[in-house]
Amino acid sequence: MELSLRSVILGIINLVLMLGLAPLFEGILRKVTARIQSRQGPPLLQPYFDLLKLLGKEDIESGQSPMMQRFSAFLSLATLLTVSLQIPIGGQAPLGGQSDVILLIYLLTLSGISTLLAALAAGSTYSLVGMSREMMAMMTLEPLLAVAIVIGAVHTGTLRLNSILNGSVYASSVWPIAGLIILGIILFALQAFIGRMPFDTAEAETEIMEGPVVEYSGPKLALFKYARMVKLFVYSGLFISLFIPWGRTGFYPLDVIIFLAKVTVLVLIATVIAATHARYRIDQAIRYYAGLFGLALVALIFAVSGY
Amino acid sequence: MSLSSKIKEVILCLNAGRVTLPYPFEVKPVPERFRGRPIFNAEKCIGCAGCANNCPAREILVFDPCQEVRIIKYIGRRCTYCGRCADVCPEGAITMSKEFENSTGNIQDIQQTLEIFMGTCQRCGRCYSGQGPLEALMMKGYRFDNMDKDRWVYQSEAYLDKEPAVKDIDLELD
Amino acid sequence: MLKNLCKKMFPRSLWVYHANSGGCNGCDIEVLNVLTPYYDAERFGIKLVGSPRHADVMLCQGPASRATAKALKRAYEAMPAPKLVFAIGSCACGGGIWYDTYNVIGPVEKVIPVSYYIPGCPPRPEAILYGVAVALGLVDKKVSPVQLKQVELPIPNYHPEDLIGKGEMVVYKKMDHV
Repeated sequence: MELSLRSVILGIINLVLMLGLAPLFEGILRKVTARIQSRQGPPLLQPYFDLLKLLGKEDIESGQSPMMQRFSAFLSLATLLTVSLQIPIGGQAPLGGQSDVILLIYLLTLSGISTLLAALAAGSTYSLVGMSREMMAMMTLEPLLAVAIVIGAVHTGTLRLNSILNGSVYASSVWPIAGLIILGIILFALQAFIGRMPFDTAEAETEIMEGPVVEYSGPKLALFKYARMVKLFVYSGLFISLFIPWGRTGFYPLDVIIFLAKVTVLVLIATVIAATHARYRIDQAIRYYAGLFGLALVALIFAVSGY
Repeated sequence: MSLSSKIKEVILCLNAGRVTLPYPFEVKPVPERFRGRPIFNAEKCIGCAGCANNCPAREILVFDPCQEVRIIKYIGRRCTYCGRCADVCPEGAITMSKEFENSTGNIQDIQQTLEIFMGTCQRCGRCYSGQGPLEALMMKGYRFDNMDKDRWVYQSEAYLDKEPAVKDIDLELD
Repeated sequence: MLKNLCKKMFPRSLWVYHANSGGCNGCDIEVLNVLTPYYDAERFGIKLVGSPRHADVMLCQGPASRATAKALKRAYEAMPAPKLVFAIGSCACGGGIWYDTYNVIGPVEKVIPVSYYIPGCPPRPEAILYGVAVALGLVDKKVSPVQLKQVELPIPNYHPEDLIGKGEMVVYKKMDHV
C-alpha cells in the first residue's frame, strides 16, 4: 500500500476540481440549452447561487424516517466523490491507483442505491413511483458500464484501475473491434448514465412528478442537486479515461486542462442531445437499454476471442 | 429520431438568435386599445356615482359625510380593468390609462380617493360647479396656520387620514 | 453564516411554485407565458419547481375558494423559510369579480399572508415580470395612493363641535385638532 504524499495531493486536487467545477458544467448545460431554445438563459454561475441559497434554507424534516433521509443525502454525494478520487484526471491516478474494477462498479451502484434509499425514506407516493422507475433503469444500465470495464480488463489481463482507465479497450492485438463497438454503445447510453433527457425518467423527474427528492428541502436538497451535478462530471470523466485517453503530454497542469476541455466537448454534445429530445417512457427506455446490452454482449464475445 | 432532423432543428433555433425582450429594462409600447389602470380626474367629476353603480366588482364606494361633500373611493383590489366606469361616466372623468405596472407590496397603494363638492344654490336649488383655481385662492374665514411648528394647516396629516370626518357616522370603506 | 449567504443569494435564484386555487386559468396562461423564450424569466434565475418543499416563492392565483383553502394553507406551510407569496391577478389580490359567490372565501390573503400583489385581469407577462423585479429590488414601484379634492372647504364644516360664536363672529377654537 504505497500512499505517498504525492498521490494524496493528487487525490485532493481531484476532489477540489470535482467540487468546484461540477456546477460550472451544469451552468454551461443550462445556458446552451437556453440558447438552443432561442432565449437568453441564466448566468453561467447560476448553479452556484442555487446551491448556496439552498444551503441556508430551513430544513423541514418530513417523511417516514428523517434519520434515513439524512443518511441517504450524505451517501449520494459521498459515493460520487469517492469515485472521483479514482479517475485519472491528468493521467496520474490519485491515491496510487489502489482500487480495482469491482470497487468502481460497486460505488457507482451505491450511488444509485442512495437515490432509492432517499425515495423510500420519504415515503410519499410520488417518490415511490420515482424510485421504482429508478430501480428499473438501474438494473438495466449498470451492466453496460460493467461490460465496458470488463472488456478493458480482458484486454489488459488485470483488474487494477490505473491500467484499465487508460484506453485499454482498444488494446487488442488485431483490430480493436470490441473497443469500437463498446465505444458506440456507451456513447449512445451516456445520456442515461448522467440522467438527462431523453432518459430523464428516474432522477430529475421534477418536471413530471417531482421524482424521488420531493420531500427534501434546504441543505439535503442541496446535497442531492450537487450529487447530480457531480454525476455529470464523473461519468464524463470515466468515459474520457476509458475511451479517449490520447493527447496527453507529460506535464500535469496541461493534462488537467486538456482533460477539462474534453469534458466540455462531451458536455456540449450531451446538452445538444438533451435539448432536442423528448423524454422516453420507462418501458421504451428499458427496451432501449436491453437492446444496447445485447450489443454489449456481442462486443464482449469479440473481446474474449482476442479482438 | 433521425440525427439530421435534430441537427436541422438546432440550426433553425440558433438562427433565430435571441428573442428575449430586454424587459424590464426597456419597455415596448403597448397595443392600441389596451386597458390599463383607470385614472380618476377630480376636475371633471360631477359626483353622479354612475361609475360606482356600474362597477361589476363593486369596487368604487361612495360616501357623503355632509351635504356638500361626496367622497368617492376607488379601491383597486378587485378591479378587473373592464372599463365600464369609463364607459358610463358622462363627463369623461375616468380614463383607462395604459399603465399595467401596478404591482406593489402594500395593496392600499392602488386606491384613489376623490372628494367632490356637491353644493347647490340655496335659493333656487340648482347645482353649480365647484370652485375653479381662482376661487379656491379666495378662501373665506379665518386662517389658522401653525406658526410655531411651521405647518400649513390644510396640509396637515390629520386632515388626510381615513378617520371619519364627522364623528358619529361609521365609515366602512372596505 | 449559512443563513447570511442564503439571504444574499436569495434574490438571484428564486424557485417558484405555482398554485392555482380556483381561478379561471387566465393568469395561469400568463404565468406560463413568462417562462417562454419571449419574456424569459430564467435569466433572473427563476425556475419552476414541482414541489412546494423545493420552492421559495409561491405564485398564487385564483381566489381562495372553499374547496381549496385547506390545500393552499398546507402548501404554504410546506414551504421552507424564507418564503414569499405573490398574489397574481385580481382574484388573488381582492377576490376578483367573484368575491361574493357561494364558494369563494375571499382573496388569498384570508388564508395565507401575501408579500406582493400583482393586480390585473389577467396581468400581462410584463406586469408579472415587473412585479417580480419590484420584489427583487431591481426597479421601483410606480403606484402610490392618490387623494384628490375638488374643493378645500373651510375646516369648521368638518368639526362643527369646535366652533365658538355665531354668524360673522364665528371662530374656530382648537388648533391642534387638525
